[in-house]
Amino acid sequence: MEQKILQKDQVGKLYSELSKVYTFYAPIKEKGNIVFKKIENPKDIVLDYLNSKIPPKSVLFPETEVLFEYKLDGKDVEIIDRQDLDDKILIFGIRPCDAYSLELMANFFSFHGNLKDELYLKKKENTTIIGMGCNNPRTTCFCTSVDGNPFKKEDSDIFLTDLGEKYLVEGISDKGKDLIQKLSWLAEAKNADIKKANELAKQAEESITTKMDVKEVTKILESSFQHPVWDEISESCIGCGTCAYLCPTCTCFDVIDETDDYNNKGRRIRIWDTCQSCLYTLEASGHNPRDTKIQRCRNRIMHKFSYYPKNYDLLGCVGCGRCIHLCPVNNDLRVILDKILKVEKKEDEKAIA
Amino acid sequence: MPNPYIPYLTKIKSILSENKVNDIKTIELEFINEEDYKEFNYIPGQFAEISIIGKGECPIGIASSPTEKGFIKFTIKKMGTVTSSFHNCEVGDTIGVRGPCGNGWPIENMKGKNIVVIGGGFAFSTLRSLVLYASNEKNRKDYGDIIIIYGNRDSGEVLYREILEEWEKRDDIKVTLTIDREEEGWTRKVGFVAAVVKEVAPSPDNAVAVVCGPPIMIRTAIAELENLGWKDEQILNSLEMRMKCGIGKCGRCNIGNKFVCVDGPVFSLAELKNMPDEF
Repeated sequence: MEQKILQKDQVGKLYSELSKVYTFYAPIKEKGNIVFKKIENPKDIVLDYLNSKIPPKSVLFPETEVLFEYKLDGKDVEIIDRQDLDDKILIFGIRPCDAYSLELMANFFSFHGNLKDELYLKKKENTTIIGMGCNNPRTTCFCTSVDGNPFKKEDSDIFLTDLGEKYLVEGISDKGKDLIQKLSWLAEAKNADIKKANELAKQAEESITTKMDVKEVTKILESSFQHPVWDEISESCIGCGTCAYLCPTCTCFDVIDETDDYNNKGRRIRIWDTCQSCLYTLEASGHNPRDTKIQRCRNRIMHKFSYYPKNYDLLGCVGCGRCIHLCPVNNDLRVILDKILKVEKKEDEKAIA
Repeated sequence: MPNPYIPYLTKIKSILSENKVNDIKTIELEFINEEDYKEFNYIPGQFAEISIIGKGECPIGIASSPTEKGFIKFTIKKMGTVTSSFHNCEVGDTIGVRGPCGNGWPIENMKGKNIVVIGGGFAFSTLRSLVLYASNEKNRKDYGDIIIIYGNRDSGEVLYREILEEWEKRDDIKVTLTIDREEEGWTRKVGFVAAVVKEVAPSPDNAVAVVCGPPIMIRTAIAELENLGWKDEQILNSLEMRMKCGIGKCGRCNIGNKFVCVDGPVFSLAELKNMPDEF
């Protein structure tokens, strides 16, 4: 049987065993927010959370990441490549939407033939994902509208279901099943446990009431680039970029050199960037292809729901709802998509009139 | 697969100031490792991400032609932080090069056709590469007539003077140079590029036009080409956008679902008309 039981008080034991092999990442509470961090003490792990504020993409695609380091010596330069990409990583307690986002990012970073982003891809390859179902999705969650589910297991190697005092542990991928075999001390799950987990999954799915026809949104976006609806959508936006920075599928970055001139060394790093910033596309000449807020707001929506499906045949959104509950001006993605869905209806009404 | 953000290392072999104002320089780079140079297979119209390690990186069109051996060249206008740093460089400095990036001019599809090169100002670097390539003795038979129309504000802004004069002497390349206003000692044409296009009236029959320059020049020159019966599919442009990675990952050079760094920078006018107006 690949279904086991992990008692909640055994998480520390699991950590001690796995952290010998893996760099162990899990959600912790930091300054009042849930974030995924490298765990030093298993007591810090917080698993009864709704979702993390900073998406766990930060484990594989950190806010700031060294591309390479360099030493300067007069007119000569020495480049030092990353040495840590073969480290084994484990992400524990990740939600299904975020686990899916790591797959979407792998797909994006391996696109364009041989122009692959090996930094991300190598780390992803060396990562084992222990996902956890969402018993209580947030009111802002809408994963079921974007090919997701609060108990979607396929993007995890091992999947946990919170049964109260214990977790049901399921091996999903071969990698996950192998790992479970090694954890011989895990108890066998009983039929009642599996039954309870299935019930919880069903309840969770039913509790997500937002249902949107996102495929229809994609279709409408094909022909509504110039539509006045973008005026309305972008009106309240203050361009802070929270929606993009904290989006688990956003991958944009800036590149800068940080040089320690006293020691003649430095590092070229990439930093999360956002298409919501007016500087993002500003050229040295002063020309800016997206110099208005309308264009920038439109780009974010078009990217996720039109360009992404066009290029990769996937939606660029996992329905985690972070952009909704973290937007400082309550610019709700669900409302935005609803406005887009009404674009065509309005036009139909016009046609009838 | 290697880390795609690590550049090849090159050394500056020579630096040439290209204009009177001295804000455009051409640098010639030699690869430190011969193996790297062999890997760096490019065609005219491609660009590279070049960097001064410690200052930053920027995308610049490759001005040399693959028919020129042993080095690559970039013509850089002093604009922002990184390009200004390039202007302070000296011979022997180490320069990082990543690439070649982008699609380049469609040199295969251009075979058997006449090439009309229309350039304005300093946007002539990848056009230099294209003309050098097509007019090279090995490739010349593959292409029809080569017609160049190159305009500048004044005579002090004309790039690549030596090579332009060589081309003027050849009977298989038709070069028309123009400047905006009369100047003492200037013996070529005077007038805007669009007016010269009208006068030269290149035929659209079995031909391709490559048009590079400031937006206003591109618009007016294309309008004249359209009057002469040119179709959108025959007119090629090379776009510039802010870029960081050059490999379709950093995100900022998108126009709709296309990335200028990998799907471009060369697009036909027909393609551009089907893309959102965000460039």
